[in-house]
Amino acid sequence: MSEATQTAGGVVPPAVEGIRLAKAFGGVQAVDSATFSARPGEVHALVGENGAGKSTLIKLLGGRLRPDAGEVRAAGRKVELHGADDAHALGIWTVFQELTLLPWMTVAENLLIRREPRGRLGLIDRDRMVGEADRVLTWLGIDHIDPRALIEDLSLAQRQMVEIARVIIQDPSTLLLDEPTSSLGEKEVAWLFELIQGLRADGKCIIFTSHRWNEITSIADRITIFRNGAEVGTFTEIDEDRAVTLMTGRQLEAFYPQPPARAHDRAVLEVEELAGEGLRNASLTLHASEILGVGGLAGHGHRELFFSLFGAQAHSGRIVVDGRPARIRSPRDAARLGMALVPEDRKTEGLLLPLSVRANLTLAVLPAVSSLGLIGGARERGLAQGMVDALKIRTPGLGNPVRQLSGGNQQKVLLGRWLLADSRILLLYDVTRGVDVATKHEIYELMMRLAGEGRALLYYSSDAEELAHLCHRVLVMREGRIAAELSAPGITAEDIVTAAVRESRAAD
Amino acid sequence: MPPIDTPAVPPDPTAAAGGRRPRRGKVTHFLGQNVGLVLALVMLVAAIVLYCAVYWAETQSLPGNFELTSTVNNTMPLVLAAIGQSFVVLTRGLDLSIGGTMDLANALAAVHIHDSPGSMVLWSVIVLAIGAGLGLVNGLLVGVGRLQPILATLATLSIYQGIAIKVLPQPGGSIPPVYTSVLVNPFQPYALLYVLLVALVWYAFRRSRIGVAIFAIGNDEQSARANGIDTVRARVTSFTLSGLFAGAAGLFLAATATAGDATTGNGFTLTSIVACVLGGMNLFGGRGSGIGVIAGAFVTTMIVNILFFSNIDPLYQSFYEGLFLVVAVVLSTAIGRFLRRSR
Amino acid sequence: MIGRFTRRRFLQAGATAAAGLGVAGSLALPQLAPGIARAADKKFTIALSNSFIGNKWRIEMENVFKAALQMEPFASQVEGSWFNSGNDVSKQSQQISNLIAKKVDAIVVNAASPTGLNGILTQATQRGILVVSFDNIVTAPSVLKVNTDQVEFGKKLAQWLVDKLGGKGNVIMVTGVAGTSVDLDRNKGADEVWKANPGIKVVNRYTGMWDSSTAERNTTAILPSLPQIDGIWCQGGTDGVLKAFIAAKRPLPPTAGEAENGFRKFMIGYDGHKVDGISIGQPPFLSVISLELARRVLAGTYPKKDITIPFPYVTNDTVKVGETVFPDLPDSFFADFTDSGPDATVKMCIDGATDGKACPGELNVKLPPA
Repeated sequence: MSEATQTAGGVVPPAVEGIRLAKAFGGVQAVDSATFSARPGEVHALVGENGAGKSTLIKLLGGRLRPDAGEVRAAGRKVELHGADDAHALGIWTVFQELTLLPWMTVAENLLIRREPRGRLGLIDRDRMVGEADRVLTWLGIDHIDPRALIEDLSLAQRQMVEIARVIIQDPSTLLLDEPTSSLGEKEVAWLFELIQGLRADGKCIIFTSHRWNEITSIADRITIFRNGAEVGTFTEIDEDRAVTLMTGRQLEAFYPQPPARAHDRAVLEVEELAGEGLRNASLTLHASEILGVGGLAGHGHRELFFSLFGAQAHSGRIVVDGRPARIRSPRDAARLGMALVPEDRKTEGLLLPLSVRANLTLAVLPAVSSLGLIGGARERGLAQGMVDALKIRTPGLGNPVRQLSGGNQQKVLLGRWLLADSRILLLYDVTRGVDVATKHEIYELMMRLAGEGRALLYYSSDAEELAHLCHRVLVMREGRIAAELSAPGITAEDIVTAAVRESRAAD
Repeated sequence: MPPIDTPAVPPDPTAAAGGRRPRRGKVTHFLGQNVGLVLALVMLVAAIVLYCAVYWAETQSLPGNFELTSTVNNTMPLVLAAIGQSFVVLTRGLDLSIGGTMDLANALAAVHIHDSPGSMVLWSVIVLAIGAGLGLVNGLLVGVGRLQPILATLATLSIYQGIAIKVLPQPGGSIPPVYTSVLVNPFQPYALLYVLLVALVWYAFRRSRIGVAIFAIGNDEQSARANGIDTVRARVTSFTLSGLFAGAAGLFLAATATAGDATTGNGFTLTSIVACVLGGMNLFGGRGSGIGVIAGAFVTTMIVNILFFSNIDPLYQSFYEGLFLVVAVVLSTAIGRFLRRSR
Repeated sequence: MIGRFTRRRFLQAGATAAAGLGVAGSLALPQLAPGIARAADKKFTIALSNSFIGNKWRIEMENVFKAALQMEPFASQVEGSWFNSGNDVSKQSQQISNLIAKKVDAIVVNAASPTGLNGILTQATQRGILVVSFDNIVTAPSVLKVNTDQVEFGKKLAQWLVDKLGGKGNVIMVTGVAGTSVDLDRNKGADEVWKANPGIKVVNRYTGMWDSSTAERNTTAILPSLPQIDGIWCQGGTDGVLKAFIAAKRPLPPTAGEAENGFRKFMIGYDGHKVDGISIGQPPFLSVISLELARRVLAGTYPKKDITIPFPYVTNDTVKVGETVFPDLPDSFFADFTDSGPDATVKMCIDGATDGKACPGELNVKLPPA
């Protein structure tokens, strides 16, 4: 592929290029002689497993990191980026996965930080600032976000939208987005793609990373696949099968493991008419060694169902665990009944990020590993190491803080904690969202093994494909109710989506 | 710079994720987002009412000009010290050297300020500059030297105190009466003007570029840096401002005392933090209002007044002061949480 | 029945709420409206404004003040109150403002700073309030001062040693908190005496911080390097110094020290050890002297002037169990809460010093001749 694009007007150089870039952190070669190029007026997807070097490449192009070797070019000229400001001066802007918003400041302050309108005496004119922010939000079609609201009071999706909006109003010629959709729902993704298409039509260059294949194919003009710190190839047309093979070296057919045969028919969790905020009389039965999927459009009560069952949300209704009526009013109650919740929002719900892998793993079993109130060294170590091995948690060591682990591995730590506590009813809430392909696969295999051991899994995923392949049964939720039940074999993603959409339409 | 007037992307109403909701009013937002400030003001009003009540019970009259004047004069040093402290608290730090800076300012004022307008103005400016300089040293230790704020300022506290003792080994010196009557007029509550001035300074700070930067590093230092904010400069500035205000507090302290004592500032390190907490400043940074801190400073004086007139056994006075403080902080936290949840 | 009940309730309400309801007030509780009903034989209102209350000396000082208020002539002539502010100048200043607002007749003050209260105290005197400062005295000229002569303190201890040793021998000096005027003055007094007696050799001089445990620690550390010690001159923490000597199996030389009860116990024999000594201290009853000065000045029977009182002291000859030494009380207790002998300035009983309780009989405070 040539480095430049032939157009009617002549040769247009690529908007941004990386030539044989290299970057190492400690002993790890994150990016290793990678070459990448994106044109003006195209949407370029960057895919690969976590750790393949995508995020590092984005940072190198966006001026947040300096390459050890190789060069960055912008509009055909070699550039030295000493910081984000240098990149900004060239029109290269980045939207990061980990948000850079200031939580206790308003939307307006965040949108216009360092560019606030000034009034008398050079002081910031707050009213004008709010007015300007309001216009920006309206222009971008997200005026449901109040410019005077604090970021802290916004939903995760809204925050991500503000983060995107903040960069868009800088009028970037090249826009780098690192997993922009990981915290967005369907509507918000549609909004973002609309925005991206508008930018493309305007001749901008958009580079983004994502783990969601359908998103990638729906918007990307070209796809560059990364593996082990370097590009494998750039494609205008590629199917998922081949892409996964290139990313992982594994065939897609083998990607989804077969759910194990159900050995028991014993109901371990019976829920009748569960109601509460966002939940309207949801009923279900979960059996031992069963993987029961829960699907449907986002915002129809899945989260509320899982959190109510785990005692983290007020609810009414009947819950029977192992044949005995149970009152679950707090996560403590739920844990005592052998239930465990692994939520999607890892940072705020469950993990203690600054603490070690070991401490996080053994948190729920502290009484067992401590004697005389002291946390036992060897025994705790043994348990933690066993779990790290069993779950293939990729960590430099037991003592490293969980913060240093990738998203998928953080999920595994949380799951490992509950397994150590011998939880038998696992509530897995969208655990694979934002997780790379290889780790996803490991989580699937783990689920199968856990079900094989007789544990019961209630599994929500925003990815219908996963539900179709991994579950014995799938419940489709709509407006806080269980609207449909599908049984394996023969569930397809289309079935799930159709059920959700049909029910949804019928309700309108 | 933003392409607001010439949209590059065609606005498409259907693309909007969710319809436009009516905006809540400015005041509603303000109250919801400044719970600490609102509670500090409510607490101050309540304290004043209670003070008037116990005062009436004791003397069958209401506090008048003298009471107002002495309260404002006696609170001025704390107001300034607490505002100085709040700049550092906003960045998620603490400035323990405030007491030392006040001591030095106090000592210098007592030794050098003489009864001529030139000397008064010149030495006031010099003392303020020295205060800012001491703050700058703290700022460099923390911002550039990467020391923990508590560690760095604990060390400089002793150093500044030591220098102050060198300047004025024995309590003494004198402050010209004119200087006292300009800063803390003993007969009329003119010092209220300085309270107003401090409030205006805060107003401007909140709307300045450096103010935004200081708030931002208290919100999330990494995010602030990602937003292109020079966090080192902001941090150094916050400590410099703290030193400047501590210097001013030392001048006011000397003016109220009419003489110098290089140890009387020590207690302000702690009381300035207390005033910040009562004023609704979040000790984890990024949130709070200087207006609240001013109110917090006056609340501490009001507590002294209320306990005085309610005939509480002096031995238990500090117990009750602590109790007041705990109740105030717990209440404001609880109410704040309640308000946030009910939104 | 109902009538009586109501009346009692009424009186209680009057007593607690101090709501000056004309008829009931003057009938039942005339003292509630002092300004109106008792103008003729009105009591003097005298308040003690103390700073720090965190050590034994200050507590005794406040206790004897409270005790005095309950004894004649104070009980019938003075309406007393007391306040503590801690070492917080602004707070003490604010409390004094409140005393001014309350229009007290006199303020007796032990200040947090010699200069920090000058502003507010000057305002008080300008408003006609009598201010008497003691112990940590203030420099404001309009304020009366009651104190002891600290140079004399150092001199007296040193002279006693010189006399005991016959003008010849090795002594150590255990000094106080460096940088305070009291420490400087006491050392100055001692040095004057040493100068006049060249036979005395000061072999070491170190601080005891006026604290027994610090004095003991420092003495323990320094003793092995010292030759034979013939005398101890100690500003404070004397019992600690003696304990260090005993631990080092050194004989106890004649000791000139402070008024700690522990030291005086050694003077009468304690734990098998006895020391020959003189014990002088800053008397806690300075608060009572100040109170008396305020009362007399207000009553017009004493001129408005500063007074210096002689130090109360005891030697082995005069020390008396139950009066100037208390075997049952802790070592850290200050045994000089009362003066002794026929010319005693103040005679206070032990209950006054420990609990602030009134002593039997009248309290006769001898101010220096006017």
